[in-house]
Amino acid sequence: MIRKRYFQQLDLLKESVHSLGEMSELIFHDSMEAVVDLNVDLARKTLALEYKVDILEEKIEISVFDLLALQQPMAKDLRLVVSALKISADLRRIVGLSINIAKIPDKIEGEHIKPLIDTKKMADITAYMLENSLKAFLTQDEALAREAAARDDEVDKLFHVVWVELIEMMAKDTSIISKATYLLFLSRYLERIADHCCNICESAVYLATSERVRLN
Amino acid sequence: MTEDVKKVAQPHIVVENLNLWYGEKQALKNISLQVPRNSVTALIGPSGCGKSTFIRCLNRMNDLVKNCRIKGKVLIENEDIYGADVDVVELRKKVGMVFQKPNPFPMSIYDNIAYGPRIHGINKKDIDGVVESALRSAVLFEETSDRLKSPALSLSGGQQQRLCIARTLAVKPKIILFDEPTSALDPISTARIEDLIMTLKKDYTIVIVTHNMQQAARISDYTGYFLLGELIEFGQTRQIFHSPKEKSTEDYITGRFG
Repeated sequence: MIRKRYFQQLDLLKESVHSLGEMSELIFHDSMEAVVDLNVDLARKTLALEYKVDILEEKIEISVFDLLALQQPMAKDLRLVVSALKISADLRRIVGLSINIAKIPDKIEGEHIKPLIDTKKMADITAYMLENSLKAFLTQDEALAREAAARDDEVDKLFHVVWVELIEMMAKDTSIISKATYLLFLSRYLERIADHCCNICESAVYLATSERVRLN
Repeated sequence: MTEDVKKVAQPHIVVENLNLWYGEKQALKNISLQVPRNSVTALIGPSGCGKSTFIRCLNRMNDLVKNCRIKGKVLIENEDIYGADVDVVELRKKVGMVFQKPNPFPMSIYDNIAYGPRIHGINKKDIDGVVESALRSAVLFEETSDRLKSPALSLSGGQQQRLCIARTLAVKPKIILFDEPTSALDPISTARIEDLIMTLKKDYTIVIVTHNMQQAARISDYTGYFLLGELIEFGQTRQIFHSPKEKSTEDYITGRFG
């Protein structure tokens, strides 16, 4: 095989996106667990992981610039390199939003104002979308990307339900406004994370087919 | 094959089922394509794939090769150039060619350019104008205006190549074929020739054979990929380098070939 080093660099780039994806999944999972159980210890441990993500994101950026400048990738390789850069930016935003979630437990005293039923549903669907958008990218599975992105509608609907419910609760009892606002933010963060998963799905479709689609 | 660009609105060159043999060996197999007017069409492919053989069919350079047999049609401006009554000299005036190695005649810069027009019977008093205009079009006039009588071989490689382009332009062709025009040149001379080619497409139809894929990507509007004597894929350059339809094209342009 000619251009062996080049192919190794492409594989390595894919590996790095994979690692960043796994780290994002972990941070998202733990911040959700921390906020649901109001587990301040777990939240702090999660916050401490953010710097690792920055290092990995920078590593991906550097590999992308190196590949573009030194190897001039074409066709599918070019799409891979561009998708990797876009996906790493989406993952970085997902981590940023998860970090926002992990900051909530420290701010809530005592218990939640209500059991987090719909919010947990939102988180489950979002976790599914995150896992499968990455899988779709790594395996270049267009159908999986489209299927994962389609679940964004469910997240949006639940966001609306949670929103209305919390507003009504606050209207009835103003003493809960502070805690309820954090839950509003939480649902908003989840809704945004799901949107970034859709972006990842779009990149996965682009890589697999070279078609630019809007799945959001 | 990409049907959408296989037939173009105003083709300058139409090739239909072109086959070529060198003795027993078939070098081109059923090539059909249409070259759009006032555009740059690049032909890429590994060595021996037939791209140079193909380009040489467009001004019947292969006539000079012994045991070379051709079947199929090449229409230029709707005229079959392999027709019985075609004047090959006139054809080659219409379809100019620039080669890999700069090949100026061993005479002055001026005479190199005047050579073609003189043979074609230009009026003596018009020669100065033609030489200057050709040199200007090839972006060589500024560098040579004070030494037009110097030997062409005293020019640098890049200048010699631009001189060869000027020499081609002097007989007012409609089409210019470039066979690896920059492979013997340094990056700066290459960039000059590339710029020049892109300027020339305003007035000429250009077909270029190149081993340099980045060059094809940079300067051409259409790209054809040849392999083992077949035209595997032909399409807009953007599409070919962004999302080729054929796996074999993809393998070649991403370096997975071989």
